[in-house]
Amino acid sequence: MNRFRRALKNKQLVIGSIIALVIVVLGIFGPAIFGDYAKQDLLRGHKPLGTSGAFFGTDALGRSLAARATFGIRISLLVAISVTGLAMVLGTIIGLIAGYVKGVIDGVISLLIDFIWGFPLILVAVLAAASIGSGLLPVIFAVGLVNTVAIARVVRGEVLGISEKDFVVAAKAGGYSTMRIITKHIAPNVIPVALVLSSYYVAVAIIAEAALSFVGLGAQPPLPSLGQMVSEGRNYMRLNHWESTIPGVIIFAMVLSVSLIGDGLRDLLDPRLRTALERARVK
Amino acid sequence: MGSQHSPGDVVQAASDLVASYQNGKISRRQFGKGLIGLGIGATAASVILAACGGSDSKTTPGTSGGTSGGASEGTPKVGGTLREGYNRDISKLDPITTNWYDPAFSAIYETIVTDDPDGKTVAQFAKSFTVSDDGLTYTFEIPEGSVSHSGGAMGAKQIADVLTTIKEKSFIGGVSTVPMEGYSVDGNNVILKMKNAWLGALNPHKTGYWGLLNIDTWNAAGGLDPKSTYGTASADGTGPFTFGEWVPGSHTLVNRWDNYPGSNTPYITNPGKAYLDAIRWSVITEAGQRATQLEGGELDTLIGPSYADLERLKGNKELTVIQHPEWSGFQLSMNRDYPEFFGDVETRQGLSHAINRQGLVDAVLFGNGDATYGPFPKTDRQYETKVEEFNQFDVAKSKDLLAKAGWTAGSDGILERNGTRFEFAAVVEDETTQKLIAEAVTQQFKEVGVSAKFEVVDRAVAFEKESGEGQKAAPMSLFFWLWPVPLDILVIFSSSETIPVPNFSHVKDDKIDSAVAEWRKSGTADAAQKASSNFQLLWAETLPYIPLMNQYATFAHQNYVKGWQPFVWLLYPLYNDVWMDK
Repeated sequence: MNRFRRALKNKQLVIGSIIALVIVVLGIFGPAIFGDYAKQDLLRGHKPLGTSGAFFGTDALGRSLAARATFGIRISLLVAISVTGLAMVLGTIIGLIAGYVKGVIDGVISLLIDFIWGFPLILVAVLAAASIGSGLLPVIFAVGLVNTVAIARVVRGEVLGISEKDFVVAAKAGGYSTMRIITKHIAPNVIPVALVLSSYYVAVAIIAEAALSFVGLGAQPPLPSLGQMVSEGRNYMRLNHWESTIPGVIIFAMVLSVSLIGDGLRDLLDPRLRTALERARVK
Repeated sequence: MGSQHSPGDVVQAASDLVASYQNGKISRRQFGKGLIGLGIGATAASVILAACGGSDSKTTPGTSGGTSGGASEGTPKVGGTLREGYNRDISKLDPITTNWYDPAFSAIYETIVTDDPDGKTVAQFAKSFTVSDDGLTYTFEIPEGSVSHSGGAMGAKQIADVLTTIKEKSFIGGVSTVPMEGYSVDGNNVILKMKNAWLGALNPHKTGYWGLLNIDTWNAAGGLDPKSTYGTASADGTGPFTFGEWVPGSHTLVNRWDNYPGSNTPYITNPGKAYLDAIRWSVITEAGQRATQLEGGELDTLIGPSYADLERLKGNKELTVIQHPEWSGFQLSMNRDYPEFFGDVETRQGLSHAINRQGLVDAVLFGNGDATYGPFPKTDRQYETKVEEFNQFDVAKSKDLLAKAGWTAGSDGILERNGTRFEFAAVVEDETTQKLIAEAVTQQFKEVGVSAKFEVVDRAVAFEKESGEGQKAAPMSLFFWLWPVPLDILVIFSSSETIPVPNFSHVKDDKIDSAVAEWRKSGTADAAQKASSNFQLLWAETLPYIPLMNQYATFAHQNYVKGWQPFVWLLYPLYNDVWMDK
């Protein structure tokens, strides 16, 4: 309850959550409200925002931008949250193992992490698309791989520090199993870090999905995605900029909300930072 | 000051000119010059020309903005590099091995004959040409002492050699020249012998694929070897410009050939070497960027502005927009090696009736095109209007035909027949217009219970996926063709002798083959029209491909560019008359 009160006082967290809530509601209910994203009206192309019968206007084929954008939100959220959730779980496990077990296992994992970390996300996505074809699958694979590696890298570093702490040494001396030490003593200390980091990587995933769709590697037509909508709309910027502006603003809002939530969570969950803030308030 | 005419005099003189032109006493060019001589601007003259029903009038959507005349607008200035925007990536500058030819071909190469603005065949590299009365012999007089850019001789023997090489070794040459026996030399003449009289004999010779090159240079660079550097590191033609640079994805540069002897083409007014120092074509595949760069002064001329920008460009007083129907078309292949989907004509017709072609023209091309119900664009000289009785947008008819073909709706609305769902993969090139068409068609198919899943791929990959044998080729693909004489290319898209490329539909239809054979034997205008009509009607009815629409070719230029005059019969303008008044 105390933590909930603190959360409510955290402006970043509150504002980010409100924006996120609006986006999630749009993503869930928007397609039902605004209709079929693929329905064409070839005589009503390029209508601007506020057009009667087309709330956000229409694209080149007279399709509702509202229906397409809200479906695009659904795809972005689906990709970003599922991929980052999976990456958080895998990255945390890999980081815990590498950081605690050390030795050859750590060496191999670290080598792999450094190897993958050396590739830009877009290159990984291109390689994935080349091998498994374009669509959402290579995007999920590329973003998932890079996010997993990123989280594993940070968690490993945290574990290396924590495993030298007295309570871990005491647990070892007490004869606890490796599994117990990792799950009961180390994991609770690194999960908040992974959680905060994940919120950042949700934003990265949203941008990556949009960017990859923008260049044609993501969701394939007629399935709409926000990046693809920006890409298609840019050909008509002087005619009806809303075709790019609306999905662009939504991407911005999504990333902003996740970033604000991430900052808020950091303030809330990081004990060192929280203590420092409380001390600052007392002074 | 020049002499002044009273308005009444001008009207009378213009009326006389109109009467002379309509009676065929003067040519279209003379008519246009006469109007300009009366002080009537080129734009107004073009409107009057159109109103008079000249050969271009029915086919030219229009010219807007300032004037675009040639040397008649003043004394040509020598120098400068023309910066031209181009809407496609560039192909290698080798007529023999390329599968597409770009505007630089018109600067580097000449063809033995070409079309004039009235659509009449005229000499280009040849000094003159004649056709025997029986239509079996074509004689091209080759100018004495001709050389290519490298200085190599380009006499009758060399020209016969290169034409023979094109006919025998170029893929496109081979499939386009079936009724031709071969080329030989007689003094300064190149003789083309035909197996039978054929009205289409000169058509392929006017295309970039028949660009005259120095065959020794071509062989030395590697010839047909895929590693040949001809067309990428060098090119050796007889046109007014020489090879400079070729950077795919970026640009092509050509430089003036100072030894160019002048053109034999009657409508080229420049008697000698080109006015421009160089021409640089920039590849601008980003549709929205092309107009912006022209408006911003980064380009002097532009081929293929986005239709979304057209009204804005037309309203710009610094620019002139030229537009005419393009000899091109968008069509859907239906691979017959998937007989479960496309094996019966009722199913193909059902699919075709599901497509709202006019809607596509309006939405995708902003009205800058025509729906096509048969294989040809509406403005083709041999267009058969009866094709419009087929393939009209009619969802009820579409559903009815599909039902007659045995398709019934499954639980999710997708049609099924004999346990097969009407669901197939399709391929589309990663290009703005084509992707939009594919999206629209997907939805229109869906309305009648057919699921087409288009995969967007690069141009090369699309070609590869279209080109396989049997079921290695995609069940369906969206294809865009561009060729100055539609019939010549469309027969090879549907003839059984060209499976699997470019007969991407793998059509083996005796009636179509007979129609193609009939066209190749037609030696008179009447016979050609009859064969062409028969071919078009068969196509419209049996649907080797689903025709969709064709677009208008659109060009724009700064008003200071003179003599840059694209016209309907050629894909790209010629460059020897072009100069810049700045």
